[in-house]
Amino acid sequence: MAPLLVLDQVRKVYTRGRVVRRPTFTLEADLAIEDPSIVGVIGPNGAGKTTLFEMMTGSNAPSSGHVYVAGADIHRVKYRERDRLAIHYHQSYQVRRFSKLVPSVLLEKSPTAAPMVHLFDEPQFNLQDGYIGFMLDFFRKLRAEGRLVVLCLHPTAAWHLEVLTEIAEQYLLVGDGGVTRHPDFASLTGHPRFQSYLGPEMMRAAEALCVGRAGAHH
Amino acid sequence: MALIEVEGVHVRFGDRVVLESIDLAVPEGEFHGVMGPNGAGKTTFFNVLTGRVKPSRGSIRLAGEDVTGLRPQLIAAKGVARSFQIMTLFDDFSARENIMVGLPAFRVRGFDMHRAASADSDLAEQASDILAMVGLTDRADVRAKDLSYGDRRALEIAVALGQNPRVLCLDEPTSGLGTDGVQRLSQLVSQLKRKLTIVAIEHDMEFLFSLADRISVIHWGQVIARGAPQELQQNEWVKRSNLGRFA
Repeated sequence: MAPLLVLDQVRKVYTRGRVVRRPTFTLEADLAIEDPSIVGVIGPNGAGKTTLFEMMTGSNAPSSGHVYVAGADIHRVKYRERDRLAIHYHQSYQVRRFSKLVPSVLLEKSPTAAPMVHLFDEPQFNLQDGYIGFMLDFFRKLRAEGRLVVLCLHPTAAWHLEVLTEIAEQYLLVGDGGVTRHPDFASLTGHPRFQSYLGPEMMRAAEALCVGRAGAHH
Repeated sequence: MALIEVEGVHVRFGDRVVLESIDLAVPEGEFHGVMGPNGAGKTTFFNVLTGRVKPSRGSIRLAGEDVTGLRPQLIAAKGVARSFQIMTLFDDFSARENIMVGLPAFRVRGFDMHRAASADSDLAEQASDILAMVGLTDRADVRAKDLSYGDRRALEIAVALGQNPRVLCLDEPTSGLGTDGVQRLSQLVSQLKRKLTIVAIEHDMEFLFSLADRISVIHWGQVIARGAPQELQQNEWVKRSNLGRFA
């Protein structure tokens, strides 16, 4: 079976100026996630998390490279069927629209009827209403059904990290124009980019979690 | 066979997926609660259930009969009544008249019969029975606009009950009610329980957890959790939250 998600030498450049084009933003990613999994995505504001998600769901075309979802190049699929491959759940204020240059008739049908990749962009977690527990169970259910769950979080409290380590099986760190992949939370915590993003206070919470999890494994 | 069977309902408005995929089976006589954060798709789901929105995919069956895409009045005629988040009463009519004009027997006679209908003892009697059921007997002749908010809520449910429905859909019945209003509504709903099949969208968790047989949690246009209140309360995160209190 085709890998669930492939970012094949994807590069996105935003430029400024009409005559002399100067890049204002660059994001590069080259990775493949073969199997169902729950992936945590972390990175500072403006690092390109949303752009990454938009490229994965086919709304924002990369400047170069290809995005394959379940074997299909998502930017070659009919616009309205792209969310049958990868779906982006976001707050309505997050929706950005992009021009559709190729007529839909020239594009292909989605090979799947229900999305194989589910991207959750900063779901609203709070401790009062108890929905977190249902959300986490739902992510696990999707994964058990063979989907890829991508979860973007912006940890601002220690318990956000607790949620992240409870649910994520691997991590993508977005920043400095690139995406790095981490097989576990300890590896993520060891990355200087993650440390500077989190700040000293949250880093202490992160390290405590690493110790706790290492203890739990032994 | 469940009375209501919803399978794979998908709704999109243009590029936007509002309901990804909803499945639901409600047996006759069940009180089924629907909860979820704002914008989760709860009201759209009610709109599909009552025929106001046609799903792009999926099916809805009522007592085994496919009613997918039928117009609202046809679904209503099959016994599905609904109250709205925003109230829809005739303000200048009395409580009794509001119920009477909603009675099927009145509606087949047409709307120009209002005066004659007031004199119709049969209809008035039916309306009185319903008013008694919702505790509005002594408010029967008060104009809807002069009723208290809690009384208006009760009257809305009364109008829906006037259709003698098999299924009662309530969209946030406790919204805007004070503690005593909620208490009164709880009593009313407990009386209706088992006599009717009730599906209620509700934000008041205490209300839902104490009354519902089962609850579906809707988020991202999907059912992310479902179970009896006691089952849902087993979740560790729920125990840590305010929801845990209602065990």
